Amino acid sequence: MSFMFSKENLLKIEELKKRYPNPHALSLPCLWMAQYQEGFISLDAIDAISQIIHMPSMEIYGVATFYTMFRLEPSEKLIVDVCKTLSCKLCGSDEILEHLEKNDTIKLRHVECLGSCSTAPVMQINDVYYENLTIAKVDAILKELK
Amino acid sequence: MRDCKIVSRKFELPNSHTLEVSKAHGGYKTLEKLREHSPLEIIDIIKASNLRGKGGGGAPAGEKWELMPQNSLKPSFLAVNCDESEPGTFKDRQIITKDPHLLIEGILITCYAIRAKHAYIYIRGEYKQFQDILQGAIDEAYEDGLLKECDITVHRGAGAYICGEKSALLESMEGKRGHPRLKPKQKEPEWFFDNPTLVNNVETIATVPFIVQNGADAYRAFGTEQSPGTLLFSMSGHVQKPGVYEAEFGTSMMEYIRHFGGGVKGGKKLKAVIPGGVSCGVLTAEECENLTLDYEALRCMRSSLGTGGMILMDEDTDMVVALKNILEFYHEESCGQCTPCREGTGWSDKLVAKILEKKGTKEDLNKLLEIADTMNGKTICVFAPAASAVIVDFMRKFRDEFEAKL
Amino acid sequence: MSEMIDIIVDSQSYKVQNGSLLIDLLIKEKIKVPYFCYHESLGADGNCRMCMVEIEGQKRPQIACDTFIKPGMIIRSKGENIEKVRTDILELELINHPVDCPICDQAGECSLQEFYMEYGLHDSKISISEKVKHSKHLDLGSNVMLDQERCVLCARCTRFTDKITYTHELGIIGRGDEAKVTTMPGRKLDNPYAMNVVDLCPVGALTSKDFRFAQRVWFLQTVDSICHGCAKGCNIYIDHNKIKYQDDVIYRFRPRRNDNVNGFFICDAGRLSYKQLQENRLESAILNGEKITQMQAIAKAKELLAKHKENITVVIDANLYTEEIEAILAFAKELNAKVCSPKEVYRDESFKDDMLRSSNRAANYKTIERLNIDTKEPDSSSLILNFNHPQDFEATSVINFLTHNRLSLGLSLPIAAYSENEGTLTNEDGFTQKCEKAIFKNVPIPTIIEHLIRLRR
Ligand SMILES: Cc1cc2nc3c(=O)[nH]c(=O)nc-3n(C[C@H](O)[C@H](O)[C@H](O)COP(=O)(O)O)c2cc1C
Ligand code: SF4
Ligand code: SF4
Ligand code: FES
Ligand code: FES
Repeated sequence: MSFMFSKENLLKIEELKKRYPNPHALSLPCLWMAQYQEGFISLDAIDAISQIIHMPSMEIYGVATFYTMFRLEPSEKLIVDVCKTLSCKLCGSDEILEHLEKNDTIKLRHVECLGSCSTAPVMQINDVYYENLTIAKVDAILKELK
Repeated sequence: MRDCKIVSRKFELPNSHTLEVSKAHGGYKTLEKLREHSPLEIIDIIKASNLRGKGGGGAPAGEKWELMPQNSLKPSFLAVNCDESEPGTFKDRQIITKDPHLLIEGILITCYAIRAKHAYIYIRGEYKQFQDILQGAIDEAYEDGLLKECDITVHRGAGAYICGEKSALLESMEGKRGHPRLKPKQKEPEWFFDNPTLVNNVETIATVPFIVQNGADAYRAFGTEQSPGTLLFSMSGHVQKPGVYEAEFGTSMMEYIRHFGGGVKGGKKLKAVIPGGVSCGVLTAEECENLTLDYEALRCMRSSLGTGGMILMDEDTDMVVALKNILEFYHEESCGQCTPCREGTGWSDKLVAKILEKKGTKEDLNKLLEIADTMNGKTICVFAPAASAVIVDFMRKFRDEFEAKL
Repeated sequence: MSEMIDIIVDSQSYKVQNGSLLIDLLIKEKIKVPYFCYHESLGADGNCRMCMVEIEGQKRPQIACDTFIKPGMIIRSKGENIEKVRTDILELELINHPVDCPICDQAGECSLQEFYMEYGLHDSKISISEKVKHSKHLDLGSNVMLDQERCVLCARCTRFTDKITYTHELGIIGRGDEAKVTTMPGRKLDNPYAMNVVDLCPVGALTSKDFRFAQRVWFLQTVDSICHGCAKGCNIYIDHNKIKYQDDVIYRFRPRRNDNVNGFFICDAGRLSYKQLQENRLESAILNGEKITQMQAIAKAKELLAKHKENITVVIDANLYTEEIEAILAFAKELNAKVCSPKEVYRDESFKDDMLRSSNRAANYKTIERLNIDTKEPDSSSLILNFNHPQDFEATSVINFLTHNRLSLGLSLPIAAYSENEGTLTNEDGFTQKCEKAIFKNVPIPTIIEHLIRLRR
């Protein structure tokens, strides 16, 4: 098995185990850790988690594919999640999406409501929200992040 | 409009998320006298206040608390629902970032009442930034010795609207796919690894300290007889000043929109409002005219109050496009276990797409209603019925816009 | 045990156990209600929403697989209302289904096909061209092929590997209408009971590579039998067919429910044992490698019996039917011969598991024990009569009665295999079970009993 959790993560996992009545509860937390550690969730990571939390690999794989924020493949490009749901759409997310559609240096994803509708349009990059977007603002943000 | 800040009282204070500011403004005060009451007495206070769940369903909180065993051999748990994924809803986020200590205080009271020693806060995965603020507050509370008898663990979701449904939330916390469970046949608690568990929304729990501190009557002084108290109502879409503003139940919707939201964006005319997250039936501007914001009034309109997250649409909004947008959401978010939902959400989305492409026929409109009918009342959870109601309401109220596209 | 109570289904009264599952009653009483996801061995999952019935006093239709019977319940399983509900759900089920029955192996035993014919949906207007596309020919391993487009996501197969075999190879990935059944990438369905998922699958999504396109199921004839793979005695159906001018052939074994013995399942080794049963059969008598006629063989056998009559040993295969074993014993007595059935050869610890498979790989071993037959190897004899025992033994002369070709000297006479004969077996737990005769060959091979009659003449 080529995946190993970092020492730090293993410590975290041990701490978390004490906080739940059953180690199965650690499947999401462990998937998160694996994703942060490697940038994506490899099958090896799933096997490693399976051993730690005593849940079959296939089940963890099913879990990993259920939640949209987990990535099972590495992405070379910057992942940009733009909200496409109603409030954002009413406030012009289409324009932002169209604009970003043309940018092939990023990996654009149309995501559902980010819970930030009062500051629409909204996008999220690396866990950070960017709100009240305009095309100019988006360009500036992407430039900053490059 | 009467000022009634129960949950949002400290929101505007600088550094309101810190323990210091919280304590300086009365935070954790209830804990001092908490033990003068027995757990059952606390439940009685909550029952007397008729506090209704603020996660969308409006179920009386006290009755749910009462289902929790007071002398169980198994450990009891509290799961606080911070999944907040209903489009148009962003209120719980305000609590965990602006007054997380109010939530912690509420959790401590609730856990005392239901005899739970551990509370989990299930937070949607996207809210990582806000989770960090919340976690900071919890860490502070640990350091301060506030969490000696009750642990709090934040559990992060990973992108699945359906995990806001309480049994799916617990499945997800058990490490599984977020599939809602079959409903129990009698009233009983929820179960987390077979242990009795209470699920309440963040705002519900954050309302608890006020009630325990000031008494049930103080809470009932706000709102209406059947919908007492306040809610963090919010506005988004075509509104001048979108945002979250606490108001009491029974407030006039239009007055709320004018007072807090400054009316429709760009001075345009209002066409429709979805009152409480997209899962609530759409209302035409006329229907909103004399409407008050409480469970009963909205029920009368065959809609619902939901999460109180209003989405405003102005006169230029294409309602077919709006419906398509909502159906995409349902299509994307169905957990996929029930046949009517798995297939119905996809099919209706594709049918509306066809209508938008101007390839639709009258028959497609009827088919759409038929699918809606099949999705209603035949599934494990109410996700599919909600999608169904959305279709029916849009088509009932804006049929001409659909027909114009055929 | 809870009390028996009365309930009414479609105006008829039934006595049932209080608190039992409504769907079990419907299945038992053959009250037709369509269902995909429920299975008696797996319990309720409630995902297909097909098993809807009306319950008096309930506003909405309810699923029968999640309804526990209470005293005084009044249930309607038929009628315009409820049938419309089912038709509508079925129609949704079909949206993303390829409806490729003409090329589907399951055709004829597909719940989906059965229901949609019954609910008159064959000309349903599904007005959408882009169905969700998935893989059509996935080799899952263990002879099981998956067509994801035909799958109705009932989760029977995944629950089987989760709850029955605990091997967890199968699971559902993705969500909504993108959800599908699969294994982990690069991994296979791999357990000794894997092929049961083919029987469990209510549609043609999981098919047996072994059976794919071999036969349309409606041509097959079905006979009750018992698997001879080990001493467990799992109940099976033998599906066979005789195409004009050709010989009667077995196409597959399928598990037959018996709650005392095998429940709903059989192991793959047993399921596939029909192949060995038909392959490499001994069809004519052989003397020292040369074919001879039956007449010549019987004459030769009689000659050997007379020549060695002082020192004969009879060896019996512990897979023979009880009737055959008893007949052989009687014959041996007449010959004054010693009898044995050496048991070591049947012992196979690697085969054993804690589900069904027994380390004792002889279907009628219990009868050998009951009849006190010696289970040691024979002492040296001048003549050995071997009734299909898998081992060969040294003797001056040997007469074999064999179902299959075997490299052995001496005289060999062909005998009918168990599928070509009827009889009883007693399994290791003491259940005596009957096998029907399934195969009628164009040129029948004599049974042991027929041989014995001829030898006595
Ligand atoms: C599809 C669906 C999504 C839901 N999403 C949420 C949610 O995001 N947050 C929430 O608090 N409740 C949500 N609920 C309601 C919960 O199931 C549950 O009733 C609620 O958390 C109970 O808390 P309350 O009584 O305090 O409102 C959802 C329900 C359904 C059916
Ligand atoms: S109604 Fe939809 S979301 Fe709810 S359980 Fe069924 S498939 Fe899942
Ligand atoms: S493959 Fe068959 S058994 Fe498995 S989920 Fe699909 S339809 Fe059900
Ligand atoms: S609709 Fe975009 S954040 Fe809610
Ligand atoms: S058999 Fe009852 S829902 Fe599938």
